[in-house]
Amino acid sequence: MDELKATYIQEAQELLENLESSLLVLEDNPSDHSNIEQVFRVMHTLKGNSSMFGLSVIAEFVHDLETIYDKIRQSKMDLSKGILNCTLAALDHLKLIIFDSDLQEAGNKENHYRLISEIRLYADGGNESTPFQMNSSEVEDRSMGTYFIHFEPNSDFLLNGSNPLLLINELAELGPSYVVPHFKTVEDLSTFDPTSCIASWDILVETDASMDAIKDVFIFAEDDARIDIHKFMLTGIIQNEQFLAKAKASHLRPEHLVLEEIIEIAASIPVEENEEKEQLVDVQAAAPVSKKSIEKEKAISSIRVSSDKLDELMNLVSELVTTQASLSLFSENNTSAELEVISENIEKLSRRLRDISFGMTLVQINNMFARFQRLVRDMSDMLGKEVVFITEGGETELDKTIIETLTDPLMHIIRNSMDHGIEKADVREQKGKPRQGMVKLKAYYSGISVFIQIIDDGKGIDVRKVREKAISKGFMREEDELSDKEIFDFIFYPGFSTAEVVTDVSGRGVGMDVVKRNITDLKGTISVESKPDHGTTLTIKLPLSLSIIDGLLVDISGVKYVIPLSVVRKCYEVKNEDMLKNFNKLLLLDERQVPYINLRQEFEYEVAMEGNSQLIVVSDGDQEVGISVDFIVGEYQAVVKPISKYYRNQDFVSGATILGDGSIALVIDTHKIVELYTKHVKMEGKL
Amino acid sequence: MKTEDGNELLIGQTKSFLSFKLDSEHFAIPVMKIMEILEVPKITKVPQAPVFLVGVINLRGAVLPVIDTRVKFGMTPIDFTINTCILVVNITFNDEEIMVGALVDFVSEVFDYDERKIKPSPTIVTKYRSDYIEGMIQEDDHFMMVLNIDKVFSLNDLESIVETKIEKTEELL
Amino acid sequence: MEKNILIVDDSESIRLVVGMGLKEAGYNVVAGINGADGLRLLNENKVDLIISDLNMPVMDGITFLKEVRKQDKYKFLPLLILTTESQESKKLEAKQAGATGWIIKPFVKDKLLAVVKKVLV
Repeated sequence: MDELKATYIQEAQELLENLESSLLVLEDNPSDHSNIEQVFRVMHTLKGNSSMFGLSVIAEFVHDLETIYDKIRQSKMDLSKGILNCTLAALDHLKLIIFDSDLQEAGNKENHYRLISEIRLYADGGNESTPFQMNSSEVEDRSMGTYFIHFEPNSDFLLNGSNPLLLINELAELGPSYVVPHFKTVEDLSTFDPTSCIASWDILVETDASMDAIKDVFIFAEDDARIDIHKFMLTGIIQNEQFLAKAKASHLRPEHLVLEEIIEIAASIPVEENEEKEQLVDVQAAAPVSKKSIEKEKAISSIRVSSDKLDELMNLVSELVTTQASLSLFSENNTSAELEVISENIEKLSRRLRDISFGMTLVQINNMFARFQRLVRDMSDMLGKEVVFITEGGETELDKTIIETLTDPLMHIIRNSMDHGIEKADVREQKGKPRQGMVKLKAYYSGISVFIQIIDDGKGIDVRKVREKAISKGFMREEDELSDKEIFDFIFYPGFSTAEVVTDVSGRGVGMDVVKRNITDLKGTISVESKPDHGTTLTIKLPLSLSIIDGLLVDISGVKYVIPLSVVRKCYEVKNEDMLKNFNKLLLLDERQVPYINLRQEFEYEVAMEGNSQLIVVSDGDQEVGISVDFIVGEYQAVVKPISKYYRNQDFVSGATILGDGSIALVIDTHKIVELYTKHVKMEGKL
Repeated sequence: MKTEDGNELLIGQTKSFLSFKLDSEHFAIPVMKIMEILEVPKITKVPQAPVFLVGVINLRGAVLPVIDTRVKFGMTPIDFTINTCILVVNITFNDEEIMVGALVDFVSEVFDYDERKIKPSPTIVTKYRSDYIEGMIQEDDHFMMVLNIDKVFSLNDLESIVETKIEKTEELL
Repeated sequence: MEKNILIVDDSESIRLVVGMGLKEAGYNVVAGINGADGLRLLNENKVDLIISDLNMPVMDGITFLKEVRKQDKYKFLPLLILTTESQESKKLEAKQAGATGWIIKPFVKDKLLAVVKKVLV
């Protein structure tokens, strides 16, 4: 059962997330009808699931909520701020009680009843609402008797999968029975439709089951058959041989049993009691109801796949890409045109396969945003500050597990921003800033990394305070000369705290070292930039877990390198002498001055004086830099393998890939190359 | 099993070793640590790496770093001859197992040796860092140094060449 | 002789609970996540009974039901729908679309099995 409970909980959590997003949208737009419908639907599903698992406490709770939204969607009630806040509070409570359905944990019980009374107040604001009831068991009215049942299906009875024989079997299970079938006469065999039902039955059954139980047998057949049920005896008589013999005799020819005859026969049998027949059961046809249009849901259907299977799939795809590279190479060296076509097709297919399978573990960062929006909203209420939450780059995709690991650190950072960064509206106004503060979450790709930034326009971090604190904690000495960036790094040291007052909300700044650890566990880096009164920006950089990239394969002195295509802007051909004779290291390209790096030189190969090189202009943050190589081999799909830990200091190499001929090409991190180059230039400049 | 002295010779104390040469010196490594022995394939050099890191090779789809063992021992860099081999060894570093290729001039033989007979390395200052050497084996007329390859190829010694170059330059200023 | 039952419901909890209940009773179970998925599974497997929810994305229960009945070979295939107590009208609509019967949510396992027995040999 644990697996089932786990599934219920997982599904409940997804439903609650869904609910929360819709509610937040409704906050800005209370008359958004489709979202109201969505809220209602989600609540309905959650209620259904909860009662399936016998979690009646939860089911009843949701039922009351659902009543409110049912009324809203029928325009019997308006969605007020009070209702919305109440619903959000109820949502938070639900997140807890799906784990504690008996309300055992402290606080849950009180909250539960408090919320229920609040909800009911709102719910009753409209018209009368019906209380929720789990399906009550039917009150059985058991008394012995013998029944006469005439069952005559319509001719199209069989056309919805019904099987009359099964119904008769069901009756027979209720007690001793006697069944007489009849067939309508078939007039003309040639016009006879064999799928039509021409049989009917008379059934006598002796049972102590209630009339309802008998009716129940025909519950699905009500509309498609004529069903007459009569209880003609309060005792059982079928097992009486005399009765049976006489009954049989009454229809020696295949005629139906006639109720009156049977009653007479029964009466003629000496028994203790004879009772009158019961009234013919009135089988009412259900009243026709107007058809409601079925809403089309725009949900994206999804299935769950085990992550082991995904890992295996990705490994196989990686190997496929490598093998396909060998095939491409082979076909280049052979002059079969047909082989070339096939090889190209395989390349296209494997590329698509790679994109889809590696995309499977990727989830948009948008998924996290809803949670943060909620956080900002709640905190601005609590702190009495006016803050707006903006997101940029929500479509940026990250591996699902990374997103899950990032959520807590990001929440903490946002909490900090709101608590210590953003000033109160009045203070801001005095400073000449807009009353409303801003917290922005931005995500984007660069090279083979993904960047996530939390930017606020609050009061910034006072570098001097940090410096003082760092000195007092012994992280640095008074005389040390460190850049602002280096000083800010101390914020991530354990035991560091710049908050003067320990607030309830974010606790002490101690959390930052844990945040940094979470990020480094993901092999990422985190850094802080801040300007007093302008705000603070926290930047998290994470390596993309994609291990197959589109790259540009280049050659320098016979050694192959791969530059990620995602950073490449344009390629030019340049003269080597132009590069070497240039003192300010700028080349004129397309009428722009572009800084460049002579990679041959940088990598300490022999420098070529004559001839040409290829200059690949890549983007590096805001600027564009040219990187020169001997020649460009072509585009290449690289399965990036980690390069050994021994090369961890050579961080401009982000990995290696195995080419079709078995040789190795090194994958370059252009950002690091620029960094390295800048360092060297500084050195040389000083010499 | 008993030796002539009547002492119990536990089977577990006889170990297999592989011996190889760097220049004229003999060394030995426990066979357990060796995954395979390769002829030298094409080595791809990684720029700006310490001198003892020769480059990387493709070992059945995995990228294996190759270290010039001679340089590690302060000798001149390796001269590739027909006898030069790569020993693919498994070293343990910080509880992690890492594969590395070690370039050697000549692979001699595999032999069994009673571990208890391994002599401790002499306390007089040796040419080589004492933590590299676990002990000495005397065989016929020559000595073999038994290596602690976890220490020899430790990842702690990477901060060598490149940083010092920059540090030295900074000092000059 | 083993019977095969196709369950179609977008809720994984329901698929699991119903599936387990049926398997314990000796039926083989195959599950789909919406009407379209259900149609695919119907064609790929030998199915003796379909149990389908009404509210599902992509293709809902009533549409699914109609699609099933369109095919001659499935004209007599028993098909039950899952409905909640407040959807009286849905039961009629389903019936008219060709459903054999219904099961009201929430239901206990015994009730589920009783209804299944009603329509499946």
